Amino acid sequence: MAVITLSGVTKSFGSVSIIKGVDLSIGDGEFVIFVGPSGSGKSTLLRLIAGLEETSGGHILIDGTDVTDRGPAERALSMVFQSYALYPTKTVRQNMSFGLEVARLPRAEIDRRVDAAAAILKLEPYMARKPRALSGGQRQRVAIGRAIVREPVAFLFDEPLSNLDAALRVDMRVEIAKLHRRLAATMVYVTHDQVEAMTLADKIVVLDGGVIQQVGSPMELYERPANLFVAQFIGSPKMNVLPASADGRAIIVPGGKVRLAAPPPAMIAHLGARPENIVVTPPGQGDIDGRVDVVERLGSDTFAYVAVPDAGVLTVRIVGNDVGIAIDQPVGLAFDTQRLHLFDTRGQAVPAAAA
Amino acid sequence: MGIVGNTVRSARFRRSRWVLTAILCVYLVYTLIPIFYVVTASTKTNADLFGTFGLWFSDDFHLRENLVDLFTIQDGIFLRWLGNTFFYALTSAIGAAFFALLAGYAFAKYDFAGKRLLFALVLGAVMIPQTALVIPLYLLFSKVGLLNTPLAVILPSLVFPPGVFLMRVYVEEAVSDEIIDAGRVDGAGELHILSGLTFRLLMPGLATVFILAFVAAWNNYFLPLVVMSTSDQFPVTVGLAIWYASATTGSGGNLLFTVVMAGSLVSILPVILAFLIMQRFWQGGLSAGSVKA
Repeated sequence: MAVITLSGVTKSFGSVSIIKGVDLSIGDGEFVIFVGPSGSGKSTLLRLIAGLEETSGGHILIDGTDVTDRGPAERALSMVFQSYALYPTKTVRQNMSFGLEVARLPRAEIDRRVDAAAAILKLEPYMARKPRALSGGQRQRVAIGRAIVREPVAFLFDEPLSNLDAALRVDMRVEIAKLHRRLAATMVYVTHDQVEAMTLADKIVVLDGGVIQQVGSPMELYERPANLFVAQFIGSPKMNVLPASADGRAIIVPGGKVRLAAPPPAMIAHLGARPENIVVTPPGQGDIDGRVDVVERLGSDTFAYVAVPDAGVLTVRIVGNDVGIAIDQPVGLAFDTQRLHLFDTRGQAVPAAAA
Repeated sequence: MGIVGNTVRSARFRRSRWVLTAILCVYLVYTLIPIFYVVTASTKTNADLFGTFGLWFSDDFHLRENLVDLFTIQDGIFLRWLGNTFFYALTSAIGAAFFALLAGYAFAKYDFAGKRLLFALVLGAVMIPQTALVIPLYLLFSKVGLLNTPLAVILPSLVFPPGVFLMRVYVEEAVSDEIIDAGRVDGAGELHILSGLTFRLLMPGLATVFILAFVAAWNNYFLPLVVMSTSDQFPVTVGLAIWYASATTGSGGNLLFTVVMAGSLVSILPVILAFLIMQRFWQGGLSAGSVKA
């Protein structure tokens, strides 16, 4: 089990800079997830840790040892790939034992480890099959089995569930969470699916443009996003953001004012409110007024998309489905002033109130 | 399934199918007539060869006698030529496929300085006819003393630029980068990854390069004509051409055109056989299940 430390890691392809200086510490046994939009550098960062790409600058340490110049195998990590990357001409058993054979382990030890992994992943009935005779979920399990048998110091996952259909993805998500608990291993996981990130991670690393935007537990990122990017990237549906300015004990937003108990900081430029922190009121009785644009009923929740002049469309989440809201209906919107997020002109979070 | 935008039953599809079929038939006949001529001619006596209709058999079926002549004339030198050709073609094809695999794999999967320039050189080399290189090769081999040795034919045949191009394209399609990465994480070296994890995925491409190189070497005429000087080193192509010349001038005693025709017939059979053998490697879907399509 391992502590992984990145210090000042950069990566450029030619003149294009992909990773622009990353400092990060991944604790022993931690489940760390890299999230970010396409091109944010999250997969590149994982490949740098794996040793599949050479760093352009900075250092990567595993358990205090500098492995920056070592090849992938010497880092004693395992990786699960997005496409599974099984060896097509080998059986399931051969796929799992290949790395151990390369390492010249004794046959008995190889068999012991492969059988143990097969038992954990319920792969015993398929050991003699070739990958092409397996379903997507089974292939995914073989890929994870291949990672387990190496008894690595840490596991790396590169969007491992993105090729599975929705139902299977939920099952595999639960299995990976169980696996983490069972092996108590350090895991680094890349995904663009923020539900995976929120449910699996001990710690989420939000990347954008090759720079870490914020590191924290899922609830920290949700409750206290450090900037507008994180605020809008974490949470679904995403946070509503309105242009805002301070005025005494109130915040002026397009079409109205939000009154607070204490004066807001003067430098605020944006006000953020999650969909569940906005309440629908009769017109004129909320902080601002709008008109219902679209209503989505999911059964447990209803999402109302309310068009507010000069502020765009705000998403409001209402618990339940019997909400008596119709399209084109004029409504008022009231913000939960305890749960507002304030940002300055540079998009950095500002503490809500001096109090 | 038809051509996009046309259904199988549409008049347009049927019209274009007829035209295409007709064109292909013309091409087929054009290809088959000379082969058929070789087949009929090698069953005739020398007199019938010139006295009967060329594209049909004559009453006197003389194939067995022609074959006996073919393998006994000049102490059975024809068998020696056939063996030479087989040896040159097999070693050339194995070597050419081997180098094409290594070069194509490197071009497809590695980044290195000068990659674009080197590949441009390979593509350029495809354009140069081998005939143009024969004189420089002759001078080169004469300096190093390789004239009239098997290496003089084999070494130039190992350089097979179209094979490098084909293998590059094939490797790019057949081997995913993630399989190579998975092998690296598992601790396998690059050659081990190639031989143990990806080689069998590349068999169809390799078989194609092998057969193309084999046929090219089998049919090679001008290079061995120039670099080989004694009859016991000749391949079939050169040997038959010399017999043909003798038959034309009538100086070869019992050397007859029918024997040359029988020799031609025998010399194309191994190539057909090679195609039939290699056919089993041309099967798709070898990498199915490795990665999600």
